[in-house]
Amino acid sequence: MNSTTPDTAMAETPPPYRPSRLRRLRDGNWALNLLLIALALLMFVPFYWMIVNSLLPREKAFALPPEWFPREITLNNYREVFNLIPFGRLIFNSLKLTTIITVGSVTISTLAAYAFARLSFPGRDLLFIIMLSALMVPQQVTVIPTFILIKNLGLLDTHESIYLPGLINVFGTFLLRQFFLTIPRDLEDAAKLDGAGHLRILANVIVPLAAPAISALAIFTALAAWNEFFWANVFLTSPDKMTLPVGLVMISGRFGSGSPVVILAALSMIVIPLLILFSIAQRRITEGVAMTGLRG
Amino acid sequence: MISGIGSEQRTHREERGAVAGPAARRRRDTLAAYLFLSPTILLFLVFIAGPLVGALVLSLYDWDLFGTPKYVGLDNFSKIPDDPKARAAITNTFVFTFWSVVLHIGLGLMLALAVQRGMPAMLRYFLRTAYFFPLLVSWAAVSLIWAYILDPNFGFITYYLSKMGLDAPAFLIDPAWAMPAVIAVDLWRTIGFTFIILLAGLQGIPEHLYEAASVDGAGALRRCWNITIPMLSPTLFFASVITFIGAFQIFEPMFIMTRGGPGNATRSIVMHVYETGFRRFDMGYASALALIVFVVIKVVTLLQIGLSRYWVFHE
Repeated sequence: MNSTTPDTAMAETPPPYRPSRLRRLRDGNWALNLLLIALALLMFVPFYWMIVNSLLPREKAFALPPEWFPREITLNNYREVFNLIPFGRLIFNSLKLTTIITVGSVTISTLAAYAFARLSFPGRDLLFIIMLSALMVPQQVTVIPTFILIKNLGLLDTHESIYLPGLINVFGTFLLRQFFLTIPRDLEDAAKLDGAGHLRILANVIVPLAAPAISALAIFTALAAWNEFFWANVFLTSPDKMTLPVGLVMISGRFGSGSPVVILAALSMIVIPLLILFSIAQRRITEGVAMTGLRG
Repeated sequence: MISGIGSEQRTHREERGAVAGPAARRRRDTLAAYLFLSPTILLFLVFIAGPLVGALVLSLYDWDLFGTPKYVGLDNFSKIPDDPKARAAITNTFVFTFWSVVLHIGLGLMLALAVQRGMPAMLRYFLRTAYFFPLLVSWAAVSLIWAYILDPNFGFITYYLSKMGLDAPAFLIDPAWAMPAVIAVDLWRTIGFTFIILLAGLQGIPEHLYEAASVDGAGALRRCWNITIPMLSPTLFFASVITFIGAFQIFEPMFIMTRGGPGNATRSIVMHVYETGFRRFDMGYASALALIVFVVIKVVTLLQIGLSRYWVFHE
């Protein structure tokens, strides 16, 4: 009975309101649940294949048909990652840039959002409209003039060329402004009566109340900075300056077919911690997406 | 912390400021506002507004980054139709974007509707994790993994397809299959975004609307059409705008998996901008191509906003 789809079952005759039947149709369709589970497992197959192959001895990796449940595994490929690639260096660079960009841009956005949401000053609306209209400027438009600017400043192939442009986040500023506007003003009025200045109101009243929005913005800024490829690929040329995504792509090209297993081991070392972290914090992250519309 | 030392003193000062009247208050607020905004304004001028103007100016010049820029008027724009690579890139980008938007919204909605049904909380948690997770992995990593998986020699997809007796194409090398393969990989990586926001949108629809409709004898299809779609339309609108903007700027999977090939089969506009600007150092032409991306995104987004009046339901 449960195998009939809700559509046909409900469409036949207008059924009288029977909650039990309604609930059965919605809860009990295990055929559909099994399909969803199968689909979810399929989503994981590429990662699973990557991890399994990274654990195989080189001569057994990439075998066809693939060895899905290997009997003997080795960590040799993981050891080789550190010999073949300046892996530690890439991780360090990525962590450094991600930290600077996340802390810097979230702070700068928070300050600007407070000014837009709470202070009245001449030029506010004009400034707001100008920034709003620049919301859709894609980075491919700005990258060429910025490249020329950075070149003239002698900053090509430096980390400054990555994090300085990364410090401004127009979308983040608007996001926080919208959120700050929803915070009732009476809370600040009390603080104002106590003689608090704007910086103190922002730090002690607004930021704690806006913590969900600010932390969501921070998570997605960090993810975007950690995963960023286009910009770093243009500006960073020496291997010891590169970020993880750019370095891995460069190395996989240079070594060619030589040692894809080592690349897979390196990729596994990035994906596995991310997977563990996400399994724990999934709700927080996905709620952040739903709340902010950020895609990372 | 900040309120610790000297808070007494500050209280006095601020009170005096407050007594000094609204004019002094306004001056102080203006000063504070511009102080708070100064990093944003500075960065905005240097890294967004300046470069945007720079791109407009550059697009009128012929410049190889080293010699003297030569003014060429609108030549950089008028030569786009004669550049076969640019023509291919524009067509490819529109094809990619069309399928990206249709598949992400369509399949994302189907997944969201399926997961929205009553099910054990653990299962829902697992499904949300599985469908969303690839989005967190960088395009660089995703492209490298899929380049191995789709490899005609040691990729397992080709292997299993040929085992099933199908004539398996060499996905990334076959001109007819390279673009569908990139579209599929992109779908696999980013379906979680539309899925999650549509799921959140569905969860925001009040249950009593469905119950009332059931009492009135509305079937599942009627309920979907008359309640779910209108109530979800703001989320659908938002999802389609964001998916369009993201898809039109697609770069990494092509750049890493196919290098735009075979031939120009997967060359995207942004990839063409990249090669023109940073491989051939044709800065003026690259700027013109980049501005095309900007204008298309702007026009289509405004069009979507304009059309939303006719189908997006606001309470």
